[in-house]
Amino acid sequence: MQSREEVIIGNQAIARGLVEAGLEIAAAYPGTPSSEILPGVVYFKKMEGLKIHTEWSTNELCAFEVAFGAAAYSGARAACFMKQVGLNVAFPALLRSREKTIEGGLVIISCDDPGPQSSQTEQDTRLIATLFGIPVFDPASPTEAADVAYYALNWSFENKVPVIIRSTHRVSHARESISLYSPGARKVSLKEGHLAGTGRKLGIVASGMSYSLVYDVIEELGAADVVSIYKVLKVYPSSEALSDFVRSMERVLVVEETDRVIEALIGDHKKVMGRSDGTVPSSGEITYDIVRDMLSGVLGRLGLGRKDLFAPDGTIEEALSDVAVVPRPPKLCPGCPHRASFFAMQYLWPDAIYPGDIGCYTLGISQGAVDTCLDMGAGVTMAEGFYDAFNQDGKLVPILASVGDSTFLHACLAPLYDAVKNRKRFILVLMDNSTTAMTGMQPTPQTGVTVDGVKTRSVAIEEIVRGLGVEYLKIVDPYDVPLMIGTIREAFDYLKGDEMLPAVIIARRQCLLLTKGAAKEAAYPADIESDCVGCKSCLATFDCPAMSFDEGLKKIRIDDSICTNCGICYYACPVQVKGKALRKLKVAVKQGAK
Amino acid sequence: MKHEIICAGIGGRGVLLASTILIEAAITSGLKAVASDEYGMSQRGGSVISLVKVGDFASPFIGRENGDILLAFEESEFYRTLFFLKKGGLALINTRAKGLPSSVDALLKKRGIVCRLVDADGIARDEGMFQSANMALLGFFASFGIAPFTPEVLENTIRARVPEKFLAKNLAVFARGCEAAGAQGAVKMPQQGM
Ligand code: SF4
Ligand code: SF4
Repeated sequence: MQSREEVIIGNQAIARGLVEAGLEIAAAYPGTPSSEILPGVVYFKKMEGLKIHTEWSTNELCAFEVAFGAAAYSGARAACFMKQVGLNVAFPALLRSREKTIEGGLVIISCDDPGPQSSQTEQDTRLIATLFGIPVFDPASPTEAADVAYYALNWSFENKVPVIIRSTHRVSHARESISLYSPGARKVSLKEGHLAGTGRKLGIVASGMSYSLVYDVIEELGAADVVSIYKVLKVYPSSEALSDFVRSMERVLVVEETDRVIEALIGDHKKVMGRSDGTVPSSGEITYDIVRDMLSGVLGRLGLGRKDLFAPDGTIEEALSDVAVVPRPPKLCPGCPHRASFFAMQYLWPDAIYPGDIGCYTLGISQGAVDTCLDMGAGVTMAEGFYDAFNQDGKLVPILASVGDSTFLHACLAPLYDAVKNRKRFILVLMDNSTTAMTGMQPTPQTGVTVDGVKTRSVAIEEIVRGLGVEYLKIVDPYDVPLMIGTIREAFDYLKGDEMLPAVIIARRQCLLLTKGAAKEAAYPADIESDCVGCKSCLATFDCPAMSFDEGLKKIRIDDSICTNCGICYYACPVQVKGKALRKLKVAVKQGAK
Repeated sequence: MKHEIICAGIGGRGVLLASTILIEAAITSGLKAVASDEYGMSQRGGSVISLVKVGDFASPFIGRENGDILLAFEESEFYRTLFFLKKGGLALINTRAKGLPSSVDALLKKRGIVCRLVDADGIARDEGMFQSANMALLGFFASFGIAPFTPEVLENTIRARVPEKFLAKNLAVFARGCEAAGAQGAVKMPQQGM
């Protein structure tokens, strides 16, 4: 029975499909664009009054193995959710699991990030699945994602093998009205095959969001009658019908994200156009304009095009060329404690080596306090490598690695132990803001709250750090910039001693989004404008979105509507003295209030 | 009926709520609708673009110069997204300015784009609801009466969407937005894009 419709995003649609298919166990590690699936499961299980075990795992390997354990030997219907690079973390278990016959059902949802928009790299989950012979679906819309999720869990249960659903950012985050059915009652409509057109000169094969784009662009170009479109839903194993379609066409264009997978499965380089021959750009998200340009070109070359094809109006850019538009690059939030930490690190040693990691704090690049971004956990281990390289030449240089609390628990335990065991000397600044901020404020193991909002045992990061054998450990409020700078210096002195161990500073202050404006009320408005001499050095080292330079007044302007009154910018201003005095006052007021 | 609508603004200012109201208004009116949002890594103060497509579309993307309606919740974002708007489209901009740079004015004229400026922030502030400029702009848009986005339909959608606590104030801001459009004599557009 269909109960009702609800406007939800693709990730929630996936959650709905799984819940309706009798999901029993779900585990996930947050990562854009996959993070909303697990909360979606919690939302729908509560709505339906179902008993489904849901948990945030410490990393993707844990999530996978929990789900696999439940599915393989206990006969449960299980699922795990992660982003594309998270699948790499789960890889050892994934590879072995494909050879197993499972008792229950297992669906792995891996969300790709074409662009990439919020990842260190693009990566195509379908390629991994296809290489290792794991069935993989590529839905083209939130509606189809809900259906595929429902279908795949049932299919996995019946066929006793794990199944992957690959979503992309655009499917996961698009919003549509989705039909909600009672558990077990979903009417699934899966679309695959030769869906449109009768032309034989050009066949377009597309999957996922690329198919939806091709469909819309062909409509706009009025080319529906001259081309044929084949939609692929199950990328691997591919169907006989696809081979027949390809055989029946003179030329074939494959449009897919982000790698060449269907293209490789088809082979036939003489007939097929796609990424291999440069018809489709080799990387980056496929947008409407890219598809329109590409199809216009291909139709033209094959003599199928019409004269009135789209040509962009360049006068738009001309007219705008003199208009000053505020650039809005990604920035840490106003008042972000990370900004204060980076400022202190950078202040002391502008030329230190700064191995970075993955999270909001990767943006420390703009303050010159992050040099590298490889994968989660690499900040610590690469620091080891840098140390070795210099140590061999008899040099001890300042190396300041940074990592957030969630990433530390996800990937840095073994690296930090490795550094202790192998006696590496560097400083690790552990930026503890008590949440997984970048992906939408999921709790970490330290928070002590489950995805259902229930209290659980919390793990204190400092106990772990000590347990791994670290001796120099200081916990500092990053807003206390002078103390932060002093502590970093002290830590480096420690490295010069005989201990031969890494030093760890925990910079602890809640993410601004967690405090919800409370900090603003507790503090004074920052007055940096009145004394400003217009040198702009604060903009260079500080990069707070609330600050901009007023070219008319030749002074810094603070946007009061987003400034959090944190007052850290005073430290970034070479002419300010009152900032420091004000801070002391603020601390005194706070203590007086206690 | 088909509409391609671009909602552009900055984080934390209700762009997503506005586009949610548009898509739900379309759906309750029995139309197909899909939306796609784009926001950078930063949670506040970064550009936010929400694309809403009403009618028989498969993808939530809008092509260059294909958009029918551009709702700019911030003047800077109007410039950033103007390339989306087709010839003869409609642009509504939340700004305190009384006019646009002359080069832009000339461009809009040449492309037959109807453009209206409204101080939505000011309207919201007057009502003591600084964060509700989105409602003022929606109200302004509603009085253009582009089906299905009539004042009645949008008002009902807001009622269904906005939490009880803020509803009365939001509706007041919405109504003030409608009035502002009336005062500008901007009501009733030729029907868009069908
Ligand atoms: S550092 Fe200080 S004086 Fe220099 S521009 Fe910034 S606020 Fe003005
Ligand atoms: S006080 Fe300064 S650093 Fe803090 S949010 Fe305001 S402008 Fe940014």
